[in-house]
Amino acid sequence: MSSSEDADRVEIDRIIHEPARLLVTAHLYVVESADYVFLMQNTGLTWGNLSSHLSRLEEAGYVEILKEFVKRKPHTMVRLTDEGRRAFDAYRRQMKALFADLPDEGGD
Amino acid sequence: MKASLALRDIERRAWLRTFEHGLWDIAVGLLLLLFGVSILTELYWIPAVWVPLAVPGLRDLATRLVVPRLGHVSFRRKRQRSTLRVRIILTVLAAAGLGMFLLVGWSTRAEAPMVVTWVRSHMLAVIGLVWGAALIAAGWSADYPRLYLYGTMVFGTMLGSDLGCAYDMGEALVGVGALIAGIGAVLLARFVRRYPRNPNQEVYRV
Repeated sequence: MSSSEDADRVEIDRIIHEPARLLVTAHLYVVESADYVFLMQNTGLTWGNLSSHLSRLEEAGYVEILKEFVKRKPHTMVRLTDEGRRAFDAYRRQMKALFADLPDEGGD
Repeated sequence: MKASLALRDIERRAWLRTFEHGLWDIAVGLLLLLFGVSILTELYWIPAVWVPLAVPGLRDLATRLVVPRLGHVSFRRKRQRSTLRVRIILTVLAAAGLGMFLLVGWSTRAEAPMVVTWVRSHMLAVIGLVWGAALIAAGWSADYPRLYLYGTMVFGTMLGSDLGCAYDMGEALVGVGALIAGIGAVLLARFVRRYPRNPNQEVYRV
């Protein structure tokens, strides 16, 4: 069995699975919407890092980046799309299922 | 990057951060302090002026100090409901205050029932109970535990006054209010040090 077949068997969403994106998605999952500063403060990511991860999530259709103007200055809010919420729920189920069958600590 | 990935913890941590700045503590403390000052000076209109001044003032401070540091977040429906509950509790508190004034007026009449006369004779303890309970209920509803302590302090102070402790109620309220506002000021100073302004932020809003 090749390594790509192994990867297919474990149907983990790799977009969400990356640790930084997982943290961003988890934060967006528990709120309605948030801006960049909130996400930076709560995830510990830098501006550039956060921006690139959000772009990746946006490409996948998991987040919606809402740019608006307040007093002629740009302000960006981010929210998880319905698809993003479904993907995160599915990811949780997959991870639960993945760990549910493991033996207790120490392999007993 | 070290953070708990329990969703409930993430949500609660984010929620509690919105109270970390101490502005609410300062507002509650100053309100009590002004009640005390109004009793000592017999200028009873002072606390009534505070509310319309404090609400826009707090909003402005939050825009300048808090949002550039913590960012803007819109919480989910459960939290929005709890904020609504706090507003209802505070409205009921204001109505209860008005009700007590009416009760005092009514209890001076000869036909007032005994229970009303009893409430009048223990007015300080009853006011303390209402204020304390309102603060504790607001703390429970907003998931903001410091309000439990403040509610207990207010009730204890008013009850002590009612039972004839050797302090004046006005002075006691000034003391409790100053203490709570002081806690808020310390929290605010710590908040400003802990969270520097973010240079990348575009624009802030509440």
